[in-house]
Amino acid sequence: MEKTTLARGTSKTSLIRNGVIIAVILAVFIVIPQVTSEYVTYVVVLALIYAVLAGSYDILTGYTGPLTFCHGAFYGIGAYTSALLTLRAGFSFWLALPVSGITVFLFAALIGYPALRLRGHYFAVTTFFFGHFIYLVILNSVKLTSGPMGLRGIKAPESILGLNFSTLQGSYYLIFVFSIIIVVLLYLLVKSGIGRVFVSIRENEELAEAIGINTSFYKVLAFSIGAGVAGLMGSLFAHFFRLLHPTTFAWMTSEMVVIMALVGGLGTLIGPIIGAGIVTLILELMRFAPELRFIIWTVALIAVLVIEPRGLMGLIRRVKGGEK
Amino acid sequence: MLYQLIINGIIIGASYALMALGLNLIWSITDIPDFSQGGIYVFAAYAGYFSITLVNLPYFLGLLAAMCVGGTMAFLFEVFLYRRWRGQGRIQLLCAIALFFLLSSLAILFWTPKSKIFPPSLQGAVEVLGFTVSYQRILVLVIAFVLFVLIYFFIQNTKIGKAIRASSQDREVAEIVGININTVNSVVFAIGGMLSSTAAMGDLPLLKSLVVVILGGFGSVAGVLVGGIGLGLVESLGSVYISAGYQHGFAFFVLIIVLLLFPRGLFGKV
Repeated sequence: MEKTTLARGTSKTSLIRNGVIIAVILAVFIVIPQVTSEYVTYVVVLALIYAVLAGSYDILTGYTGPLTFCHGAFYGIGAYTSALLTLRAGFSFWLALPVSGITVFLFAALIGYPALRLRGHYFAVTTFFFGHFIYLVILNSVKLTSGPMGLRGIKAPESILGLNFSTLQGSYYLIFVFSIIIVVLLYLLVKSGIGRVFVSIRENEELAEAIGINTSFYKVLAFSIGAGVAGLMGSLFAHFFRLLHPTTFAWMTSEMVVIMALVGGLGTLIGPIIGAGIVTLILELMRFAPELRFIIWTVALIAVLVIEPRGLMGLIRRVKGGEK
Repeated sequence: MLYQLIINGIIIGASYALMALGLNLIWSITDIPDFSQGGIYVFAAYAGYFSITLVNLPYFLGLLAAMCVGGTMAFLFEVFLYRRWRGQGRIQLLCAIALFFLLSSLAILFWTPKSKIFPPSLQGAVEVLGFTVSYQRILVLVIAFVLFVLIYFFIQNTKIGKAIRASSQDREVAEIVGININTVNSVVFAIGGMLSSTAAMGDLPLLKSLVVVILGGFGSVAGVLVGGIGLGLVESLGSVYISAGYQHGFAFFVLIIVLLLFPRGLFGKV
């Protein structure tokens, strides 16, 4: 009896504590563009985009199980779709954003349906090729994407309700609010019944199938949701930086997302988001030695695997719970 | 022109097959798609290059040096890293990819992305049936063929070869009958590293080799040969008749089509 009241008490204080932490973090993000330099604001935007990418990556790989290496490709398809729709087809940003998200979602479903029939490493390696293939397509379709010259002249989001998004601050808040909305939606998704189905597939796919879950449908769903979110972030990226280059979406990006998710801890949603923040920050701090950045990061990744494969969240859990 | 392309395709395919053979051994026995071979191969190629140009070793000793470096690296990775996570495939795969990127970035840092030209061991070319083939390419083909035969006999006839086959069929039972799985894994990794090191030509060889392994199917030496040469031909012909920009994209197309038709690869036994 006493134990339960104690537990309830701690959960209440921890609820308040979490609320305070979230409020402080939100406040920090709101004042960032007001008090810091443009450079810091750019870095924070990049961190926000990566955070959502890593979070959406977690839906398939962390919650549902299959490992993929092509998240950067979906991000790139979203960015180029949105940029080309506004540049060539005269769409407004507000239309191009959902259209590019939906396009990537459907495209991922199309790719995912045959590919997810492959088991284990076959699937992971195939996604690796797929990511590289998309990069080659973007690089070589010079007429459409200007290939290695990069796509220039992308418009800023049109102002809406009197809010101007062409300034740095305006587009910062746009991406910030949008990221919050997506993270909350992803959180609701993983806490919902669908999220539990995802976890049941991860824990034991045969058993999930045996109790009547259409596992291939849910795997494709998780894959497409993650990809669709990456597409949306790609669209935001395109209209924030207004310059696209194929190398932004080469395998390095996919690999960075995997590293971020892993550093934070797969299957926790908040872990990959924090991981993305840490990785982006340290990458920026190491800007003085660009050739060393990747070496340090891969060494760090191997170290994370050796020390605690469950990442930061696993480490926290181990320290907190005293579990070995 | 057509015949020239076919010859080129076969020779490139032979080097894909050579590297894929090592990967196939590693993958089918230890269940690790060992991406790090892509980095090992770069280091081995440089070891060969420096031992030929700086130390003035003859070509074959340079090749041997490259094989030693590659084999040792693969062996060390297995002992110190992959062995830790046996049965945790996802971590092994991540580690393999991390090693691949680490080694390639290190290579770029040490030797800059500027390509170095491997001094050919043999000069000149021969004209066969109206098309020219350089002696160097014939040498590559011969080395590939000899190594295939050697590996085949090693796997079929030696004691450790039998142990390797046994553990690829059933790891647990192999352990029960007294086969030391650690030794088998180390040997397999060392052989894989040596094979990758000999295949020092072509672009993006690692990805192609992984495609070849999947195309050919696990545990099949013949599948690797057919898959490798088939891919070499598709690329060589496709880059001329379809588009050169997509030369490295064909591998993906071929892979998807074959996997849809044969989910276990062309000659897969597993």
